[in-house]
Amino acid sequence: MIASELLAQAAFLDGREPQSFPFFGVERRGAPVTAFARIDDRPIQLRTSIEHPDVVVVLDPGLLHTTPVTDGLKEGGLLLVNSRLPPEEVVAPASVRRATVDATRIAVAHGLGTASTPIVNTAVLGALAKAAGVVTLDAVQRAIDQFVPGHRPENRLASSDGYESVRLAGPMEHGAPVLAHRLTPLITVPEGPLATRPSSDLHTAAWRTLTPVVHLEKCTRCNFCWKFCPDDAIGFDSNGFPVIRLDYCKGCGICAAECPPRTIEMVAEA
Amino acid sequence: MAKLTIPAQELMYSGHAACPGCAAALAMRLVLKGLGPRTVVSIPACCWTVIATPYPTNALGVSVFDNPIESTGASLSGLRAAADALGYKDFHVVGFAGDGGTADIGLQALSGMLERRTNAIYVMYDNEGYMNTGVQRSGATPQGAWTTTTPVEGTSRGKPEAKKDIMGLVLAHRPTYAATLNPAFPEDFVRKVEKARDLTGSRFLHVFTPCPPGWKYSSEESIKLGRLATDSGIFPLFEAENGKVRITRKGGALKPVDEYIHAQGRFRHFTPEDIQAFQAEVRLAWERLLRLEKESL
Ligand SMILES: Cc1ncc(C[n+]2csc(CCOP(=O)(O)OP(=O)(O)O)c2C)c(N)n1
Ligand code: SF4
Ligand code: SF4
Repeated sequence: MIASELLAQAAFLDGREPQSFPFFGVERRGAPVTAFARIDDRPIQLRTSIEHPDVVVVLDPGLLHTTPVTDGLKEGGLLLVNSRLPPEEVVAPASVRRATVDATRIAVAHGLGTASTPIVNTAVLGALAKAAGVVTLDAVQRAIDQFVPGHRPENRLASSDGYESVRLAGPMEHGAPVLAHRLTPLITVPEGPLATRPSSDLHTAAWRTLTPVVHLEKCTRCNFCWKFCPDDAIGFDSNGFPVIRLDYCKGCGICAAECPPRTIEMVAEA
Repeated sequence: MAKLTIPAQELMYSGHAACPGCAAALAMRLVLKGLGPRTVVSIPACCWTVIATPYPTNALGVSVFDNPIESTGASLSGLRAAADALGYKDFHVVGFAGDGGTADIGLQALSGMLERRTNAIYVMYDNEGYMNTGVQRSGATPQGAWTTTTPVEGTSRGKPEAKKDIMGLVLAHRPTYAATLNPAFPEDFVRKVEKARDLTGSRFLHVFTPCPPGWKYSSEESIKLGRLATDSGIFPLFEAENGKVRITRKGGALKPVDEYIHAQGRFRHFTPEDIQAFQAEVRLAWERLLRLEKESL
């Protein structure tokens, strides 16, 4: 949300007519959120969410595995992802131009946030200035000076690094299918009674920044992890060893903290 | 596999909308393990309304009744009357409400339900604030704690008033059963739920549920904080059957409150004197409880 607001502020400083607003979904810590920005040379009257964007920016690369982020993206549109991967390896439909920037590394290098929760906004905005050309790097940096509450020099440097290091790839001959199936169902209003489906029809994997990995050789099968999981995201295999149900785990770390022999390790996802 | 120490049945589904590490989510999971499927849960406006119904789904494998924030107690009387009229046997009528919806806004409805001796179980999950609306202070917020409405800036140094004695308010009605529960002690937790389940009359469960975003700590510490709260005497575990109080966990000497206080951002501004004052209150309350255990009948 902050990134979208800063983008709009930067566009304004460039003398354009921007608009920025969040999509209100589940506002819980870690839950993925969506924000929109429109930029034009004339005042914008439209007040609706954007269904067919020219550019999609993904701050959390984990979302690529769980959410159809390119749904609605225009033919020849741009997908910019915070990722270590080269853009050619980003999974997206053929017609999409891809760009990647390792904003997490940049943010950590400049001391923005922590390794598990890096603040990648400004590095990504620098990358966006180069890859999409909708705002200038200069305007992004002036917006940082005016609206970012702390770490301004570091944020300015992060935006320059993003600008310098973003990598681009054009449309490719063969696009990979985005996702084999939709994990987050489209919201359609049912005709009968509401809320008759279990919440387990929805997946919460995208809420996670750290993932529990069980080192079974130390496991004593004490069940503590299972007992304390607030998301009922732990089951057992036929030998009684714990299995994390990764579609649902939110990565809270309780299982790792409560495991007496310290069998579970929380690791950052690639 | 080692023997399970709490029931295997799961009536809370994954995919719900609680924050990572939410102890209130774990509390619901444990309550339903103890009660089983023949249950209706009445939920007022609180975090759990949002947790239970990520549209268009339901996180509970039992019936859910959504009610206005001030009326959980009244809704339980109505639901029980309906269940009786329909001839339902072995059917649990349960309220699941936050501390704001119970100890402040819904206090008269709770008192009415207890006075009518409604045959139902009222569960109050205590995250010590109005969390669903973004961390405002409630009557259950501890003294000195930061919230958005009791800030730490200028002349304000957190919540000036003490936490309400909610169990005291409830026990004054002499319900069939009342107990304090802590998901950090799952076996004791489920035992109390099962005990409440098998009794008839008004039953009240006060559940301690640490809240990572509201109390400002890292999500993996929810259980550790719960354990510290009980072991330091801040949230003692006890039960009262028809008014007779019994402490269910006495771990020898109480731990000092320091570790509990230091682990949370909402107490970050506490000076050594603040901690001493907090400690003194905790010790007094614990001594009152010990006396109550000896003298209650
Ligand atoms: C009469 C009324 N006033 C205010 C609200 C707004 N509201 C919705 S949830 C909530 C917080 C309830 O706090 P609590 O009962 O402590 O539960 P928690 O959110 O902490 O789980 C409030 C104030 C409401 N729904 N109804
Ligand atoms: S980190 Fe562990 S306890 Fe937390 S949701 Fe995932 S499996 Fe459950
Ligand atoms: S705000 Fe607190 S009580 Fe509410 S869902 Fe989040 S962790 Fe749970």
